[in-house]
Amino acid sequence: MSEIRSAADEGLASCHLCGKVSPVADEHCPRCGSRLHLRKPHSLERTWSFLIAAMAFYLPANLLPIMNVAGLGGNSRDTIMSGVINFWKKGDFLVAGIIFSASIMIPILKMIALIWLCLAAKGFATASPKNLARLYHVTELVGRWSMVDVFVVAVLVCLVQMGIISTVTPGPAILSFALVVVLTMFSAMSFDPRLFWDRHEKDAAGGSPATP
Amino acid sequence: MSEEEQSQEPRAVVRHRRRWSSVWVVPLVALVLAGWLVWKHYHDKGELAYVRFLTADSIEAGKTEVRCRSVKVGVVEKIELADDLLSVVTEIRIDPDSADLLRGGSRLWVVRPRVSASTISGLSTLITGAYIELEPGDGPAPVNHFDGLEQPPVTSANVPGLRLTLVAEDAGSLTANSPIYYRGFEVGRVERRTLDIENRRVRFDVFIDDDYSDLVRQGTCFWNTSGIDVTAGADGFKLSTPSLQAMVTGGASFSVPKGGVSGGPVTDGTVFTLFTDEDAAKKSIFVPDHLCLLFFDQSVRGLSTGAPVEFRGIPIGRVVEISFKHSPSGDSRVPVVIEIDSDTLAKAVENIDNSKNVLEECVRRGLRATLSTGSLLTGALYVDLDFVPGAAPAELARSGEYEIIPTESSGFAQLQDKLNSILSKIEALPLDETLGKFGNAADEIAITVKDVRSTLDEAEAALAEAKKLLARDETQNITAELEATLKEVRSSVSSLGPEGAVQGDLSRTLDELRAALRAFKTLSDSIEEKPNSLLFGRESSGNKEPKAKKR
Repeated sequence: MSEIRSAADEGLASCHLCGKVSPVADEHCPRCGSRLHLRKPHSLERTWSFLIAAMAFYLPANLLPIMNVAGLGGNSRDTIMSGVINFWKKGDFLVAGIIFSASIMIPILKMIALIWLCLAAKGFATASPKNLARLYHVTELVGRWSMVDVFVVAVLVCLVQMGIISTVTPGPAILSFALVVVLTMFSAMSFDPRLFWDRHEKDAAGGSPATP
Repeated sequence: MSEEEQSQEPRAVVRHRRRWSSVWVVPLVALVLAGWLVWKHYHDKGELAYVRFLTADSIEAGKTEVRCRSVKVGVVEKIELADDLLSVVTEIRIDPDSADLLRGGSRLWVVRPRVSASTISGLSTLITGAYIELEPGDGPAPVNHFDGLEQPPVTSANVPGLRLTLVAEDAGSLTANSPIYYRGFEVGRVERRTLDIENRRVRFDVFIDDDYSDLVRQGTCFWNTSGIDVTAGADGFKLSTPSLQAMVTGGASFSVPKGGVSGGPVTDGTVFTLFTDEDAAKKSIFVPDHLCLLFFDQSVRGLSTGAPVEFRGIPIGRVVEISFKHSPSGDSRVPVVIEIDSDTLAKAVENIDNSKNVLEECVRRGLRATLSTGSLLTGALYVDLDFVPGAAPAELARSGEYEIIPTESSGFAQLQDKLNSILSKIEALPLDETLGKFGNAADEIAITVKDVRSTLDEAEAALAEAKKLLARDETQNITAELEATLKEVRSSVSSLGPEGAVQGDLSRTLDELRAALRAFKTLSDSIEEKPNSLLFGRESSGNKEPKAKKR
């Protein structure tokens, strides 16, 4: 792989803002004036911190009720999982599946993927950069779609305000859930996939793990 | 983090700063926030209370609310069968703000929809389901295990008001929650209806609102106003109904009847008799202050508890109990416990000043109790108190809390009385006058008979005359003459008949007349044709005209 020469090897950095490739020695992008870095600064650190924050919020998001439905039939407070179970029991397998995958599976997979990516960037996991890049791509692409729940609740809260008949109010979990989604997105955004091939080149060169 | 930067800036300080970059504040804050969220959620969930009910009917886990004075204070989280399988245990999550409601003496019961004609309560529970009402007690907190009530309790003792007990022979349509009226105004309600098995009576726990509790006095009468009262009087039928609501749901009214004495205020728990109607209440204007025992040596069949005790027709008390348990063993006389109002009695008796010993004095003067028939139709008996003239002297005895009024056997003595009264009535009859009148009437009848006899004589004479007349010869011959006359008439009539001479003459005459008419017709015809023939005759004309032709 050493025949592939990266921009970093040439001392060139792409501007984070406008994408112009300039010599990193310039320090500032000649076009837009923003600072130039070869890699995103503190990338792994940020990724980890956002990831941990997301994981912290993942607990209340799943433990607390996400939605209060008060109405003639009394009060029901559903957590995400109990909602999924309710739908499943009623036979709405499709809806249950969608909610389960969008609200429980995707955030978890996203976090696992990010952990894996971070570990791989540090050299603790081995995988081809190609696969890692694909994983990263999927992670970033799919991440925002788990906001579905937040939207559903927001829409329901707006629409279903019929006093005694039925009222939907957001539960405390919805904030945590939104934070989980936002933080995993931040986490994915702050990750620099170019670290893979730096790591790969190092490994291929037989060097020791990178010193931070 | 990139290696190039590191190699360009090899300063330890920078590295250190980078390692603890401000980014790490985010997960820190996140952890704190998330932890706080979870902690707050579980903290806000509040305490669990375990309440045992007989059945979980209309209670639903997660839905049924717990309310205190209609304010939601918790929700039922779980319902489980108790270990003994005879009851259910509901787990109730009480809101943390209301946690101090869980204390000793707190009562919980299930409020289910109840629709009656007077009130519709718990209507919302029809739709939202039942809820559990919590009434906080005043014991120490916290208590987490309760036994739920199956029936809604009577109004909490904290609520000011008057709590009375009404005792009735018959429950009628008075039920829990029936209103209590004072002059048609609702001042309280029946809270509970129980059957007093021992005394075979129905007891009503009644709550009178604090504002109106002064209306209930000693001497107040309660009566049932549930029914429709139809009374037939001299001025026709009178139909009196209570308010429609009371008619449908039942209700009771109270007041101090006219002539009754409005005594002092009553205390909680006072027992009143519930009369069947207003009339019964009016008849019982007395405040019983003496419990007396009567021993009857006859059957008391027809005498019931609550039967009136009357003094010369005025009720002054009532029968409280009929039971052998009051009689000494071996005594076969029937003991009857009555309660009487000695004040009323004292008013009716002359020269009694010491109201305390009214009974004693009365008995000394000959007051005796007898059983009398109140209604011939039903055979109901009542106790009649009256002074019996010539009664054997007796004293008022005592037996425990009861005073024993001597009784007069209604067997012999009463019969004797009755015979006496019948005899005196016969004695008082105006027999002489009646007999005199009978004499007069007989005289008049004799005169009438005489008159009738002379009339009959005259009639006889007239008949004899008639007979004589009939017997005379002329009278006998009349028939023969009549016969002859008839014969002649018949012959003259037959001469007129078709064979008779008269008719033959008549027909001949008619024939001649017919011929004459024919001749006249010929004449008139020829005159019509030739009027001159009257002058010239028939052959005078030269012109022979064929008459036959012309014809």
